Amino acid sequence: MREMIVSELSQALHELARAFAHYLPRLIVMLILAFVGWAIAYVVKVVLRSILRLIKFDKLSENAGASQLLIKASLPSATEVLSRFVFWVAWLGFILLGVSVLGILGLQEQIARFFLFLPRLFVAMFILFFGLLAASYFSRAVLLAAVNANMPSPRVLSLAVRSIIVVFVFSIVFEELGVAEQTMLVAFGIAFGALMFGLAIAFGIGGRDLAQRFLEEKFVRRKNEENEDELSPL
Amino acid sequence: MEDETFLTDDFLRQLINVGEVDLLVGLPTYNNAKTIGSIVGTIRSGILRDFPRERAVIINADGGSRDGTPGLVTGISIDDLRPTANLNALRTLHSISTTYTNGTGSGVALRTILAAAELLRAKACIVMSPESAKIEPEWISRLLRPIFRDGFDLVLPTYRRHKFDGLLMTNLLYPMVRALYGLRIREPYVTEFGFSNRLGSQFLAQNGWHNGNGGVGLELRFTLAAISGRYRISQSFLGEKEHTERRAADLVPTLRQTVGALFSALESDFPIWSTVAGSKQVPTTGPEQELLEGPMRVNRKRLREMFSTGVAELESVFQAILSPSTVGELQRIARLGEEEFRYSEELWVKTLYEFAAAYQRSVINRDHIIQALAPLFRGRVFTFLMENRNASANEIENNIESLCLEFERLKPYLLQMWKSRE
Amino acid sequence: MPLTNDALWYKDAIIYQVHVRTFHDSNGDGIGDFPGLVQKLDYLQELKINAIWLMPFFPSPLRDDGYDIADYHSVHPSYGTLEDFRELLDAAHERGIRVIIEMVLNHTSDQHPWFQEARSSRNNPRRDWYVWSDTDERYKGTRIIFIDTEASNWAWDPISKSFYWHRFFSHQPDLNYDNPAVREQMWEVMKFWLDMGVDGFRLDAIPYLVEREGTNCENLPETHSILKDLRRKLDEQFTGRMLLAEANQWPADLRPYFGDGDEFHMAFHFPLMPRMFMGLKLEDRKPITEILQQTPEIPASCQWCIFLRNHDELTLEMVTDMERDYMYDMYAETKTMRLNLGIRRRLAPLLNNDRRRIELMNGMLMSFPGTPIIYYGDEIGMGDNINLGDRNGVRTPMQWSGGWNAGFSVAEPQRLYAPLIQDPVYGYAAVNVISQRESEHSLLRWMQRIITVRRSSDVFGRGSIEFLYPANHRILAYLRRLGKETVLVVNNLSSTAQAVELDLRRYKGNILIEMFGNNIFPRVGDLPYLLTLGPYQFYWFRLRRV
Repeated sequence: MREMIVSELSQALHELARAFAHYLPRLIVMLILAFVGWAIAYVVKVVLRSILRLIKFDKLSENAGASQLLIKASLPSATEVLSRFVFWVAWLGFILLGVSVLGILGLQEQIARFFLFLPRLFVAMFILFFGLLAASYFSRAVLLAAVNANMPSPRVLSLAVRSIIVVFVFSIVFEELGVAEQTMLVAFGIAFGALMFGLAIAFGIGGRDLAQRFLEEKFVRRKNEENEDELSPL
Repeated sequence: MEDETFLTDDFLRQLINVGEVDLLVGLPTYNNAKTIGSIVGTIRSGILRDFPRERAVIINADGGSRDGTPGLVTGISIDDLRPTANLNALRTLHSISTTYTNGTGSGVALRTILAAAELLRAKACIVMSPESAKIEPEWISRLLRPIFRDGFDLVLPTYRRHKFDGLLMTNLLYPMVRALYGLRIREPYVTEFGFSNRLGSQFLAQNGWHNGNGGVGLELRFTLAAISGRYRISQSFLGEKEHTERRAADLVPTLRQTVGALFSALESDFPIWSTVAGSKQVPTTGPEQELLEGPMRVNRKRLREMFSTGVAELESVFQAILSPSTVGELQRIARLGEEEFRYSEELWVKTLYEFAAAYQRSVINRDHIIQALAPLFRGRVFTFLMENRNASANEIENNIESLCLEFERLKPYLLQMWKSRE
Repeated sequence: MPLTNDALWYKDAIIYQVHVRTFHDSNGDGIGDFPGLVQKLDYLQELKINAIWLMPFFPSPLRDDGYDIADYHSVHPSYGTLEDFRELLDAAHERGIRVIIEMVLNHTSDQHPWFQEARSSRNNPRRDWYVWSDTDERYKGTRIIFIDTEASNWAWDPISKSFYWHRFFSHQPDLNYDNPAVREQMWEVMKFWLDMGVDGFRLDAIPYLVEREGTNCENLPETHSILKDLRRKLDEQFTGRMLLAEANQWPADLRPYFGDGDEFHMAFHFPLMPRMFMGLKLEDRKPITEILQQTPEIPASCQWCIFLRNHDELTLEMVTDMERDYMYDMYAETKTMRLNLGIRRRLAPLLNNDRRRIELMNGMLMSFPGTPIIYYGDEIGMGDNINLGDRNGVRTPMQWSGGWNAGFSVAEPQRLYAPLIQDPVYGYAAVNVISQRESEHSLLRWMQRIITVRRSSDVFGRGSIEFLYPANHRILAYLRRLGKETVLVVNNLSSTAQAVELDLRRYKGNILIEMFGNNIFPRVGDLPYLLTLGPYQFYWFRLRRV
């Protein structure tokens, strides 16, 4: 009995050793790849950081309002965040490459899909970033214009503009990521259409008087009030 | 230098025919047919009266008028083809016009005039405003004499105006330029001024005409360039400033041209204004400013309302721009009634300096920063009107002076904020 | 070369203005004379001029350079005898040179026997030959011409104890032209000289012949009818003679002196001359074109006389105050150069001895409509001596050579009627006829050339003028036309090089031939004709359609 156990054990050990010996070179290759990948990712991170610094990426993200979000989340500056993110993605990519060398079947497929997914992820992040930037910019522009033109409810207008843009951006991002594409599209379409329809009803029928007064305020009264009694600043 | 072709062939040919001149009068116009006829007539009288022996030319840079403005300007030229026997002119006086098409921004007009002045080697030039309907012939010599006779490089005007006219100048531009650049220039934003060919050539060469801001705020930048280039500056009293009709909606573009230009200049001029302390008088011919008293109808309530609305609605924007204590102060006074409301000098100065620092750091889009200033300015105007509604001209002068001193006193505050960025 | 038989000879004339006294001295007394002038006629013929105008040579106390005449029927003994004069006439005519003399009708010297008689007593038969008054209040408001020396137009005569009228110096009493005897006598005087063979008269000071109360005593209708009468007699009794009016008036006021071709043949265009100098200094053609635009049309047989300088001061009477101040500041910085509302300098010193400017001014003189007059000595660029009092600074001896007395006279230098110019720039050692004859590029040779070119075409003397108005105001351009012939003249009044585009569309297809070198220039096309000119340069182009 003992001999059987020993022989099974030694066979198992042999199997293991063989498997190990079989995989060892690949393991070593994987480790090498990981190590090399780390080095390359590091270089990429440094280069990217310099580039971002050069184009003053931090300022751009400040304008987007992203910086404030980062500060609130106790994250370092946008340049840092992006550089590190790219570093991790790059290194992860190399590690995965190494793992794929190991030849574990199911994993390879997933890894391939991961790599296919990556560009779309970047595009989506890009759209998100600049979309938020645009939303912030336009909402503030509308706010200032409304305040200076003495229009009623400037903050509401500003928020409306921001919401519309943000919703629009998110729907594009989700579409890009392939997450519930159709749903998002339809939902956005319904929401936007409803908003427009509602406004049309409000101005056309229901809020006719209000609209009339609003327009009067906007065009007629302002003219009378403003052409007199206004100082020349220069 | 790209864009050499911005002078049209036809204009260049006209310049060849004019030849070298001693003095040049530049006139930017756009649909000014109502006023321009008498203005160029007065300019011509001024030239004939005070500079009969000098070779002179009037250059009209027109933005594409459709009311016949250029024709009115060129019509006053004196030459032997159309004899005007009763004018008693020694020389030919050319009056030529060119139309520029790329935008009616006054930057292109000024650039055209500077280029013409350089090509014609004019010793002294003046730019006149097409809206100064109250111009008199003496204005020409008052702007030119200091250049011809005394060797000044820039001659700025001072005016007689109503005590509540031009509050952006008296409450913001004058004190701020004075405090930062150290020169007591009453009208740093100029629509009519005189300059020497030295200054003109340098401004033409050095100024980034393709900065992308389309030449906005050139009028102020010209003055600042003269200050930072250490050119000799003087002021001449002209006369009554024409009260042009302005709508409330014009405030933001005006702010862009003035405050926007000033703030953006502060960045490049830092080595100059950071080392200046106090302020010096500028040689002035005539009074520095004359204030006309008398009533003026103003909708004060609306000013106050726009201030309060602005403070309330733009809270998020102000929090990005101003310091928390300033924001708090503004919110406090916004809640006060009309009688107690007071936008104090100190608060106003702090507001502006913080705006300047925020502009430099680009905490948000720079144009938005300028726009955000509009309601605050209205609040300051309201206070100024209330405080001075029964004041005499002298008292107002004193109040302006104390505001200037406040700007000068708090200058280290700006420097501190500025440096903290570095 | 005999005289041409042309009644309109004066339209083609090039007149040389000279004073006998200044030209050449034949008898060694230090004063120029007629035989001396005869000796130099070859020089004048060489210069290609065809008429001379002699300053007054009558017997005279010479207190106004001979314009104060004491005897109308003789010549001053310093200059020779009447016979010498006749010889001059013949010698000049032989060389194709006509002779124009002065005739002062308005006044005589107070040494003239007529005045001596008139003043001797109030009842003298000649009393009425002059204008007398018991007070000096008559004709009040009449302007004084010699404002630097005279304070009034009336002078007190101690002998007959009354005032006499004089528009000029007080020793030049005015003749009374309301007296028919005076009128007859003066025609008789003119006839005397015409019979001798004189070709023309320059009638001095003719606006002032007649006085009337309540007027400015100038250009009165009575004066005109007297002059018309003289002209009629002239035309009836003589052929090919000419009357030249000396009247310093605006062109519009001068026009009546031409009448309908029945008064004067020629008149001086006084206002043009200062404006030429002004235009040159301003570098602007406006003063010149304006005065010529304002010049009225004159009858076909009449002609303007144009000149750059003469024996008088460069008069600034016919300009505005502002223009006069400008001319003073530019051309006569020192006060001694100014006299009687004018500038007493010669052509070369006025132009700073700048050869180019001298050429340009002569070029304009030769191409403007009118008969040009060359003042003696200006053809070699003589200088002046402003210290010689009154207008004598421009009347110094002609400089013939660099030798003894500049070749003017063999007398002792101290005996000369006036000292020679001796400074290094204008002195006779530097500026004289002989050395300029030798030098191919001298001013003298240049003047000969331009006169030759001018005389090669009738268009200059007889043609019309039409100004082009190029946008470049420093360029003075005009077309001279006569019949089928057209000449284009372009002058650059500026001290710097200029480019000009001329509108010659009407002459499309014409080739331009430059008249001094006879080289062809590009043909006129559809585009404006582009010319470039150096400082003070001018072109004369003949337009030729081949």
